[in-house]
Amino acid sequence: MKSAWPFFLAWKQLFPSQRKVSFFSVLAIVGVALGVNVMIVVVAFMQGFQQKFRSDIIDAQGHARAVPLQRQIDWRNDIKRIESRVEVEKVSSYMQGHLLLQNRDYHAVPYSMGIEPGEKVGVLPLDDFLKKGFIPVQGYDSQDVTPLPTMELLEDDVVFITQQVANRLGVRAATVLQLNDANSSLAKGAVQVERIDPYVESDEWTIEFFNAQNYNLRNSLGSIDLNGTIQDPSVDLGWGFPKFKVKQGSRPFSSGDKFKFQTFRSSILEIYSPNMIEQAKSDEMAPPREVRVGGIFEVPWQGFHADALIGTRRFMEDMRGEVDACDGFFIKLEDKFFHDERKLGELCAKLEGMLEGNWRIIPWFVENAWFFDLLKFEEYLMVLIMIPIGLVAAFAIAIALMTTVLRKIREIGLLVAMGGTRISVGMIFCMQGFIIGALGALLGCCFALLFIRYRDFLMSFIVTRIAGEEGQAGVTQFYDFYSLDVPYPWESEQSLMTFLTFIIFAVLVSTIAGLLPAWRAARMNPAEALRSE
Amino acid sequence: MSDPEKKIALRAVGLSKSFSIVGSSKLHVLDGVELELEETSSLSIRGDSGCGKTTLLNLLARLEPADNGTLYWGDKKIDASGKPNSQEASRRSKHIGVVYQSYYLIPELTVMENVLMSVRLSKLSMNDYKERALKLLEQMGVLDKRRQIPSKLSGGERQRVAIARALVNRPKVILADEPTGNLDERTGGEVMDLLLSTCSTEETGLVLVTHNPSFAKATQKSSVLKDGKLVYV
Repeated sequence: MKSAWPFFLAWKQLFPSQRKVSFFSVLAIVGVALGVNVMIVVVAFMQGFQQKFRSDIIDAQGHARAVPLQRQIDWRNDIKRIESRVEVEKVSSYMQGHLLLQNRDYHAVPYSMGIEPGEKVGVLPLDDFLKKGFIPVQGYDSQDVTPLPTMELLEDDVVFITQQVANRLGVRAATVLQLNDANSSLAKGAVQVERIDPYVESDEWTIEFFNAQNYNLRNSLGSIDLNGTIQDPSVDLGWGFPKFKVKQGSRPFSSGDKFKFQTFRSSILEIYSPNMIEQAKSDEMAPPREVRVGGIFEVPWQGFHADALIGTRRFMEDMRGEVDACDGFFIKLEDKFFHDERKLGELCAKLEGMLEGNWRIIPWFVENAWFFDLLKFEEYLMVLIMIPIGLVAAFAIAIALMTTVLRKIREIGLLVAMGGTRISVGMIFCMQGFIIGALGALLGCCFALLFIRYRDFLMSFIVTRIAGEEGQAGVTQFYDFYSLDVPYPWESEQSLMTFLTFIIFAVLVSTIAGLLPAWRAARMNPAEALRSE
Repeated sequence: MSDPEKKIALRAVGLSKSFSIVGSSKLHVLDGVELELEETSSLSIRGDSGCGKTTLLNLLARLEPADNGTLYWGDKKIDASGKPNSQEASRRSKHIGVVYQSYYLIPELTVMENVLMSVRLSKLSMNDYKERALKLLEQMGVLDKRRQIPSKLSGGERQRVAIARALVNRPKVILADEPTGNLDERTGGEVMDLLLSTCSTEETGLVLVTHNPSFAKATQKSSVLKDGKLVYV
């Protein structure tokens, strides 16, 4: 085979025959690999954070938000016009403002938003937010069996509030505990609470079996006392009562089996609005609006208001003293607009045109540009800090190769005497740089893939060593690396580009590092080289 | 006088070389050297240390330019005072083989790889020359060492490998610069016998630089380099 002999010799000088490993080669390759690994991992994690924030923001406000530019607008018609476009999946109107909330002597003034109730799937995944905000009660001899609140509970006299507001006011949603000390037999089966609405009163509920089939359901207030059978497992007494479901286990129930539950009613808030102040100025004192807490929610996007309340749109209209008002829409689009900001911007411009300039359509990346600019800046800064590290590695390779050139002066003379051109001889050292860069980059990619694969374990290990178990919770509050989506290069074009960029960077820098020794070797006089001692 | 039936493998006409020394003065090492070597013939060059024997070999191999003179590698005429170029390097790999006192085997390669390095440099087909390399190693008595690296070989064995490497491309001329200088008398004698016999078998011309009068006598022609000129004895 007419092989390129400089490459052959470069390879052999790095991996000599009859020797398993060359110390210099291993050091140089591992050095490059570690550099490539660090650069890929840092950028991949930064991109993971960006992805997470992007996803959180779109969850919190949709792909775009429409803001009215006129006072009198037929907004219902405009929603229909927007929804008529194929790219648009869903449009949800909202009202907003600030309300004063009071519970006993505690007050809060959260950002308040009114949305259309009954939307099973709106633009915002509110059921997920309610799930995130749910904190079970820790009981000594009982367990919290409260079903997760859902959007179905939202009505005009029910509101959802954030954890911060709930903590400040000392309120919580309706809760149900199952008492452990009752004569219950889990092996035989269980009784589940399927629903507890905001109108359920504080009470104690008992389900007691007469035999394998029949049971009695009663409450301590004495308003309910009825018998049921396990053939009809769900017991729905309607709104204001918990809904139970009897589940049979592997063994039949027997006489005396008992399940006891304690329900706690949801807190009642008194709400004042700026409109009430205006009424008070006219000597029309309106009583505060009383609403029940339907659930506690948490929006994962920190840019969303920490103090917030969600009620129905009609509730907000009442509080503001307006009729058929709308402060804007959240717009959810097809998934393809998640990554393509250019297309999203173009579509928003088209929608604005379609609505004859009555609305301004603001894409999510414009509304949160400050945040992403900051993240990008941080990413570039990281890369800028890391590039000199790569260059230091390149200098180390250059020095090592230069030493090799000086050690092999007579071999260089011999190669020319045997018919090698000076450029070819120089190429040996350039090729060595290339091989070190290429193998180092490949190994670095393997390290990076392993780091991404086991990132939770590694990050947890690092953070707990630095901040301890408690500190870890604090860190994850801001950087929830456990939920980070760090894609592999075969899963995402962006990840592939990151890997390729750093592979090319490492190979280029290492090859360039070999240029100086190569030049030194190429300009050597072979006769003098052969004479050298 | 040269045999008109035999082709000239190497010829030097009026080769001169001087080196700058302190100030502007020059040391004239070679002064109009005339040399002619037929294919299959051998020529020894003796001379005092520092008289310019190695310089002459470097000029003949075009590793450095002469001040004046003309070279002929076979029929190819070369201006010896010109700067060596890549075309000459390519031609050198096929026309000239070199053997040095210090062997200069590449330590990272096995014996076989060292021998085939000449083939790689000449961009010849490796498959065509593998058999020849094995045959040469057998002739040199180091076939069983072909998978070893040079550091595991004795001095005599290394020089035999270097000779095989010089011959593997079937060059027209071997330039040997004190090939036995690092060997004891017995081993040196064995290596020299091998070099002479193989050059004869392979029909390759040999220019041998040596201090040893008995080795010099073994070549077909003998010369002494004195005062920058080659004197045939």
